[in-house]
Parts: sequence; structure tokens; C-alpha cells
Amino acid sequence: MAVCTGCSLLCDDIEVSIDGRRITKTKNLCRKGFGRYRSLASDRSVPRVDGRQAGIEEAISRAAEMLRNAKRPLLFGWSCSTLEAQRKGIELARRTKAIIDDTSSICQGEIMDMVIRKDIPTCTLDDVRNYGDTLIFWGCDPSSSHPRHMSRFSYFPRGEKLQRGHEEDRTAFLIDIRTSPTAKILAGNFIQISPGGDADLIEAMLAVLDGKIPRVRDKKAMISMMNRLKKADMGVIFPGLGLAYSLKGRMDRMKALVDRLNETTRYNVIPMVGHYNMRGFNQLLFDETGFINRVSFADGVDHGPVYSVVEASKSCDLALVVGSDPISSLPAGIAKALAGVPMITLDPHRTLTTELSRVVIPTALSGIEAGGSALRMDGVRIEFDPIVKSEYPSDEEVLSKILEEI
Amino acid sequence: MKVTIVTFRDIFQSEAQEVDRFGEDYRRMSAVVFLDKSDAAKAGIKDGSNVLVESDNGRVVVVARISEDTHPGLAFMPNSPWSNQLVPAKTDDTRIPSYKSISATISVTDDKIPTVEDLLRELVS
Amino acid sequence: MVSAMEIYQLTPKLNCKKCGLPTCMAFAVALLAREKQIEDCTPLLEPKYEAKLKKLREVMAPIAGATETGLVIHEDRCYGCGNCVVACPVNVANDPKGSAIGLGPKSDRVILVVEDGVVRCLNPKECRRFGPNRILCNLCTATCPSKAIEFV
Repeated sequence: MAVCTGCSLLCDDIEVSIDGRRITKTKNLCRKGFGRYRSLASDRSVPRVDGRQAGIEEAISRAAEMLRNAKRPLLFGWSCSTLEAQRKGIELARRTKAIIDDTSSICQGEIMDMVIRKDIPTCTLDDVRNYGDTLIFWGCDPSSSHPRHMSRFSYFPRGEKLQRGHEEDRTAFLIDIRTSPTAKILAGNFIQISPGGDADLIEAMLAVLDGKIPRVRDKKAMISMMNRLKKADMGVIFPGLGLAYSLKGRMDRMKALVDRLNETTRYNVIPMVGHYNMRGFNQLLFDETGFINRVSFADGVDHGPVYSVVEASKSCDLALVVGSDPISSLPAGIAKALAGVPMITLDPHRTLTTELSRVVIPTALSGIEAGGSALRMDGVRIEFDPIVKSEYPSDEEVLSKILEEI
Repeated sequence: MKVTIVTFRDIFQSEAQEVDRFGEDYRRMSAVVFLDKSDAAKAGIKDGSNVLVESDNGRVVVVARISEDTHPGLAFMPNSPWSNQLVPAKTDDTRIPSYKSISATISVTDDKIPTVEDLLRELVS
Repeated sequence: MVSAMEIYQLTPKLNCKKCGLPTCMAFAVALLAREKQIEDCTPLLEPKYEAKLKKLREVMAPIAGATETGLVIHEDRCYGCGNCVVACPVNVANDPKGSAIGLGPKSDRVILVVEDGVVRCLNPKECRRFGPNRILCNLCTATCPSKAIEFV
């Protein structure tokens, strides 16, 4: 059995047939995961130093030299690296007095912070499968982003206490702006809101829980949903990016709702983390510094918005990017600032970021060419071994060598 | 036509990104905006025509598609370097960009859809 | 998807019984249910029906891959999410330690599996829509996010 690092479900029931370095057949991979496996043979990055092709060793030495000379380096990415690589990354940040941040800074950081601090109750996906009888998918579209979420854990499978399957034992609601593919499956329980309408919906839900009339158009539907939510033995809320962006800066309102629901029954929250080991990085950095992201080691440990990738891209004098493509995923105005900074990039593939990097170090694809461990979106640790031999070093090996040379 | 752009994830586009983010498949599935049927009719935009999408932050040419579902006033774009041309670089105190709520105007154009390389050239210009 | 009436319009409408059925409409229904082949209608193979034959082959092409139960998989639309694999009552009954609890199938008696990112149909005869006691189960289509499975 192999593990898929295509998303933060880290599916560990993947069967793969291999002929040398070629994958000939896979079982149980979704379309997205199969894409990741296919990428083994596509558009791999090549080692580069100052615009010309170089050897990996030379690229590593140049990276170490650049990091040694940098005054205010930013170490960014991390959510597509193993825990072992992330640990080295945090060590490297300490040694170079760098700013370190990960992709949670531009997506699920706020709610993940609450989960890791235990400000908001959570559980494992196995608990959801066994006991989660009432589900709220909020601002997410698991069918597209985490294709096996509903079939492996949350909605369709039989669980210990839920033997009759989704038709009788589980109720799932979807709150979203867009009539997504998931909305087609959950059509009867789809609550469509306007952009930014999440906060108002939370207030309406709280009003019903307090026995007041909610200020929404369809009062009856809202009251009936809340009655169903109250009847849960174990409820689970899955907040996605839709909620993260709509409720940014006001995530305490989500906490208020979860706290209120927990007065009568058990409700847990599992954020729909995108990249396969974002949660791992957040947990590791939290264990070491007390913060999940946006940390500076320039003078002890400091934390704040000024150390976010959005700000640091404008203020750093060097960026080390590991397993991420910020030039692609940041707003163009911020990507432009980052493009003006000398970049060192570790990535298995050619990306927009490698194209603009001064130093490129190709790395092994974790889960396929490199082993290690990672934290699933629910915090469960999943270990994996490589399934094919690789000519590329892992992130962990590259970072170890950089650390040795600094 | 004025709209609010909301970005989203599409599994086929995610798959194309995994396989080759410089490829034609990825561009075809990324450089696209889904419009409400009546909105598009009012603005005289046909399915498959090139449109210029402009926000306060930037502009980008993509293909217009007409949605099966109705969503007047809203337009959906897969999250990609193309949609990121429009996302405001200025953020609030949270320093989290507004990827899913972008005020924009959409109009028919004869201009071409940029490739990833075009977008990169613009970044370093 | 093509209907029996559309197929009927493309038959010779002779009610000649050469196919073994009493009427061309019955033949159209049988063709849709894959109980008969196009070639079972011998008059249709005559030159004067050439255009109808060509058109009939065209409309039947999309369902050529249908299994005996009428199940058609559109691989190009499939997400490989496995909702159908886990929701299928036969998969659940035959594979309690695999698909029933959300994992990849561990039994070779399952109907639906996901291979190379898309769903495949393995044992169509196990489907509840097959055989004398068939029922119109639709759990695999109702749980699909992209209409990748259809019954014809």
C-alpha cells in the first residue's frame, strides 16, 4: 500500500503497480491523486544557479552561501514537505535568523490556529466515520478539493455507530456561494449564501439557538436546520476556504457558534486543509515557538502579521521557497514584489517560482520518491515509504546539507 | 458589466496543474470565467468569446463560459495565476488576500489570452 | 441519452418479426436494453435502409460500452472520488472490510472500483438492476458529483 500526497487526506490505501520507474496501474487514487502520480514523469525541475544549468551539489552550496549572506531571509512554503523536512526548515530559520511562514498564512491559518491551540474542539476523521452523524460542509467543495473526503470518512462509509450508511444515519448540510459539484449531491440540504454572507448566517443560527426569530429570508428552513443540528450525537463542521476568506478577522464568530452548539451536544471542527502537510508544519512550529505561522527568529522568537508571506515578500532580501509556488498562488501585485527578490527554490517540478529563481534545487516527490511522515488534516500522523527509486534528493536531505554548509 | 468574482477549485484544473502547469490543458481550464446566463445576455457576451476582466488591481483576458446554474451578479473563476491578476495586493489587518470576493468589470475583447510565460514576463517587467 | 422511440424511428417499421420479436417497437426496446443487437434486424442491413442503419449505429455508439445492467461510465467526467464505490449496496455487502468502510475494495466480488483515477465496472451481473429479481437501485448515480455514471 502506498500513500497519496495529493491532498491532506493522505489516503493510505493506494495500490500501485510499477515497472522500473514507470507506474503502470493504480487503484483507489482519485483523479487529483492520479495526477500527482502521473507528475512523476512530467516537467521535472532541473538544478540551476544564476540562470545556468548546474549540478545539485553546486546549487546547494550556492544556496547555503546566499543564506549565509542574507540579512532578512524569508523561508516560505513547507506545506508540501514531510515533517522531517519541516523540522530541518525551522532549524534553518533559527540559524539564519529568518522569517518563516507557510501557505496557511494565506488560507486556513486563522482557524487552524484555534484548532491547534485547542480553542475549538476537534476530532479525527476516523471519529467522523464512526460517530459523526451530522455534518456541515462550510465554504468548501470536498468533491473537487478532497475527492475522497466524503467516501472515505465523512458521509458515505459505514461506521461503528453508523451501520446503515448515509441514507439513514447521517445528515450533511452544505453552506456555500456556488452550486458546486458537492451541492449537486447534497441538493436537499444546500444553503446558498451571498459572498460575505457567512457572518450573517452565523448570527441567524445563533439567534435560533437562543429561541429568537432569525433575520433570514427562509425562516422555516433555518429553524428546521437548527432543530436537526441540535439533535446530533456528534456533529462535525468542515470549514473550507470560502469560510476562511469570508470570515477573516472575525473567526471568533465561528468559535461562538461552535461553543453554543457544544452547550447541548458535541460539535467538532476539522478545517479542510489543502496541501498534504500544512497541518504538520503548523503543529511543529507551534510546538517550538507557540505560533503556527508568521514567525521571525531575527531576535529570539517574534510573531505577527508583519512576518506574513504577504508582508515579508516585500521586505525580505532573500526567499527560500520549499515545495510551493507562491509566484502562481499569490496576488500578482505581491508576486511581483517577490519576483524582485533573489529566490532559492526546492521543488520536484518546474513551476512559475522556479522559472524566476536564482537557484533551483530539484527534489524527490514525497510519497512516491521520498519517504517520511506527515499530519493529515485531522492531525493524525501518516508515515510513508518511497515506492520508486529517485535520482533526486528529498527536501530533508537538501536542507540538511544546506545546514551543514552554513 | 460589473460583477463580483469568486474563485474556486476545479478538479480537472487541479489535475492539469499537477501534471503540467505550463501546459495547454492547464491554461484552457484556468483562463476562464463562468458567467450567469442573463448577465451574459445583457452584456452581449457569448459562450466561448474572449473577455477582458478588470479589477482595481489588474486585468486579464480569459474565455467566457455560460454557467448551467444561475448566479446573477457573480462570476466564478478557477483559482490560478490568471485570477491572481485581479486579486488586490492590498490586504486588511489579517494580511489574507481577498481571493474570493473581487469587484471587477467584464467586457468583450479581441485580445488574446496570455500564456503562463506572458504572465511571468509581466511580473518581471 | 437515446430513447426507445428514437430508435424505433430508425427501424424499417415493417413489423416483420424476423428478429424474433412481434414489432419494431419491441425490437427498439430490446435494443436499448441490449437484449438484441442491431444486426438482429436483417432488413435494416439492406441497401435501402443504409441511411437509417448509419444513424442508428451513431445513436447507439455512446451506450455501446454499457454493461448488461445498462450502466455507462463516462470516464472523462469521473472524479475518481469513490462515492459510488462506497455507496453501492452490493459493494457494501460483498466487501465489509473495504468499500463498506470507505477504503479501497478488498474483495474481488465488488461491482465498482477506482483505477487510474476513474471508476470501472467489474462484476455487472452482481448489480441489483440485473437478473429476474432486479430493482431500480440508483445509489451510484445519486451519489455522483459529475453525472459520470448513467443507466440507459
